[in-house]
Amino acid sequence: MKSKFLAFLGSAVLTAGVANAGGYQANLQGQKQIGMGHAGTGLALDQSSIFFNPGALAHLRQNGIQLGISALNSKIAYRESSGGVAESQTDNPLGTPFQVYASYGAAESPLRFGIGVYTPYGSTVNWGSTWQGRFGLNELTLQAIYIQPTVSYRITDKLGVGAGLIVSIGSVNLQRSVPLTDENGNEGRIELDGKSKTGIGFNAGVYFQPTEKLSLGLTYRSKVDAKVEDGDIILQIPDAAPVRAQFKGDKFNATLPLPANLTLGLGYKATDKLTLALDVQRVEWSAYESLRFDFNDVIGGQTSSEAQRQYEDSYIYRLGAQYVLSDIMTLRAGAYYDQSPVEDGYLTPETPDSDSRGVSVGLTLKLSEKVDLDASFLYVNKKERTDDASKSNGVAGTFKSVAYIPGVGVNYKF
Amino acid sequence: MKNILHKLGAVAFLSSSLLFTGCDPEFEDDRTFSAGSLDLTKYVAVGNSLTAGYQDNGLSLEGQLNSYPNMLANQFSFVGGGGFTQPLFSLEQRNGTGYLRLTGFTSTGSPITTTVNTELAVRGLGADGKTPLLTKFTGAINNFGVPGIRVADINTPGYGLNNPQGFNPYFERLLPDNSFTTYLQKVSTSAPTFFSLWLGNNDVLGYATAGGFAGSITATSTFETNYTAMVNALSANNTEGIVATIPDVRAVPFFTTVGPTFKASLPAAVPAVVVLTKNTPTRKVVLKSDIKSAAGGTVLFTLTSAPYLPLVGTPTGKYWRDLAKSQSPTNPNAALQQYLAAFQIDTTKMFGLSGENPFPSALVLDNDEQAEIATATTAFNTFIKAQATSKNLAVFDAFEFFNRIQTGFALNGVNYSPAFITGNLFSLDGVHPTQRGYAIIANEMIRAINTKYGSTIPTIDVTQFRAVQIP
Repeated sequence: MKSKFLAFLGSAVLTAGVANAGGYQANLQGQKQIGMGHAGTGLALDQSSIFFNPGALAHLRQNGIQLGISALNSKIAYRESSGGVAESQTDNPLGTPFQVYASYGAAESPLRFGIGVYTPYGSTVNWGSTWQGRFGLNELTLQAIYIQPTVSYRITDKLGVGAGLIVSIGSVNLQRSVPLTDENGNEGRIELDGKSKTGIGFNAGVYFQPTEKLSLGLTYRSKVDAKVEDGDIILQIPDAAPVRAQFKGDKFNATLPLPANLTLGLGYKATDKLTLALDVQRVEWSAYESLRFDFNDVIGGQTSSEAQRQYEDSYIYRLGAQYVLSDIMTLRAGAYYDQSPVEDGYLTPETPDSDSRGVSVGLTLKLSEKVDLDASFLYVNKKERTDDASKSNGVAGTFKSVAYIPGVGVNYKF
Repeated sequence: MKNILHKLGAVAFLSSSLLFTGCDPEFEDDRTFSAGSLDLTKYVAVGNSLTAGYQDNGLSLEGQLNSYPNMLANQFSFVGGGGFTQPLFSLEQRNGTGYLRLTGFTSTGSPITTTVNTELAVRGLGADGKTPLLTKFTGAINNFGVPGIRVADINTPGYGLNNPQGFNPYFERLLPDNSFTTYLQKVSTSAPTFFSLWLGNNDVLGYATAGGFAGSITATSTFETNYTAMVNALSANNTEGIVATIPDVRAVPFFTTVGPTFKASLPAAVPAVVVLTKNTPTRKVVLKSDIKSAAGGTVLFTLTSAPYLPLVGTPTGKYWRDLAKSQSPTNPNAALQQYLAAFQIDTTKMFGLSGENPFPSALVLDNDEQAEIATATTAFNTFIKAQATSKNLAVFDAFEFFNRIQTGFALNGVNYSPAFITGNLFSLDGVHPTQRGYAIIANEMIRAINTKYGSTIPTIDVTQFRAVQIP
């Protein structure tokens, strides 16, 4: 089991895609919840409570392990500012955000331990090196993996609390064209590539079930700073001495905040078969004020580059339903509305964000007493957005994003 | 179990079919572009080197393909524009007249340029013994851009005739042998439905780039008569079009690049330089503080003065020997003696610092010369705009545009300014735009046309055109 687990981790391409959530957050942390519009903070569905609400974990009766993965297909279209004809579309690689959760506790113990490994933040966009905005961005890959050992305690049958330590690792790779053309007509390129230092944060939650029908959850995940130190700067520029003198740096430092989240969830068991879930999630994006790179020597004549982002805190509203069709099949559906944290004037091609709408379906098939299978499908449609990018050093124009995200998960209970 | 797998298969199928069909994001509105009331089926471009696509001190196939008229025609094609034929050089002769390439930098950071002289479109030497004849193109054309042509030249019979007194080889290549056809006559047969007219730069520019030493500024009366004749010919059937004004030539890198460096290099003990003015032996003293730089001053030094500026203060006649060689390849020595006598030069004296060996007029644009140029430019532009008003034509105010961009601007994440090489707008000759610069100008023209005629011709993605190539 252990070796299979590692093989699974190793084979996953650890990237998420930009088009599924505000900013560079990737809300794809549990296959059951994805099927319900990613609502689940107020429910105790399975081991993914480690992410959704550590306070609910101790209300799960069984031990288990869960593996899930989504296939994130995102596409973004760009159209230049009014008056022109140029259009472009990203050629993003398939993102594969994944989730692994395992929990263990003695049968009648109120205490339960768990560990989660998941990818809450990430972004991969590839605009290529010929589009109009290439001097702003060719390609960006951001990855963050959270590893979260967790403990949960069931105070009473109605109340549970839990907390987890977050250890984050990740990386960033940013490529853009440099407006210098060499003798053969090739444009310059700069690539910033680095791994982030280990970041530390926490996840805590409370689960409260006042009646048979009603359950409530409140969870807070702290901000984690993804710090890159001594990242590599890779340059492809003309050799002429006056140009080289402007590009002497080969290392960079940068910090990207992975913002805090506060989520309030509500579960309502309308009938034996039908469960409804409602989540309101606040994302503290205001932590992302600017994207700054500090260089060890001049790059483009400057020892640092800073572009304003000034994100604002945003809310996501989620609604989901689960219906137990039969002993072996449970169906789900959901929807959410996700406010963009990006204010006017600050749109960038890294995350050409706008208010987005997600609709999802999902199911669980019980293959045996010990094994069941989850599947989900989420469609995300972001509102078309036109921005002059006057404050962000971005690329002026109109952006439109959609994403198609099928996912599967397997649960093993013991 | 079988039932489950069946259902699973259905889900997988549903997912994958959604994945691979209709996946692309779509914009709410389709863009619509329209020519409005314009008829763009036959666009004709009239002008000089700018219209021909000249850059880097030469005309090549690449420059022709990236001429602003060709860019405009391409944008017109979105709204019903017809074909656009240019007198292109062949692929085998793609380097045309030859042109400058940036091949390096000196230890002090000054650019080193080299002339490309392979794959030329030169078919021989003209009857004047010095003008290279270019491979002919005598078919019908839409781009009538002739490098070097002035408004003063459009009515001159034999302007394109290969004759010993001199001629324009760019016009000669567009005509049959022994033709006395004038430029105006040639253009008049084109019958456009839409035209662009950007003439007049050379009526001041030739004089300016020659530092007031050679050429002359066209008389305003001649300019007005000829310009009117050209506008009348083009707009004969109430044809719509766009005219462009003449930029302030003093603001191009050709005049602004080397002066500041030279000024800074003069030792404190040297308070002034001695220069010749116009095509006369008259000397003028130019105070160091009068040389134009960011700190002030007005006197301009041409880009072509760069090789001679380091010689200031040494006894040399290099400039005059070079001039004699280029003007009289067959008998340079006689020419040299004529120059030295005419301008009373003693090459044993300190070049540029002594009254006996002054700095050549051709390499410096002094205040008197600049005043003449400014006056003429204003007069010509006033007339061009008045003609546009009377014929209901759009105007690209190049004078206003080039003044507006003096402080630089950013577009698509690229900085632009009139700085030599680094400003991205001007090619290596310091006068003509880069391809990117031409594209930016073409967009200005499109906006002027759209504003004037209510059309919605799409603008150009200027990032698809290059600026200066750096080794």
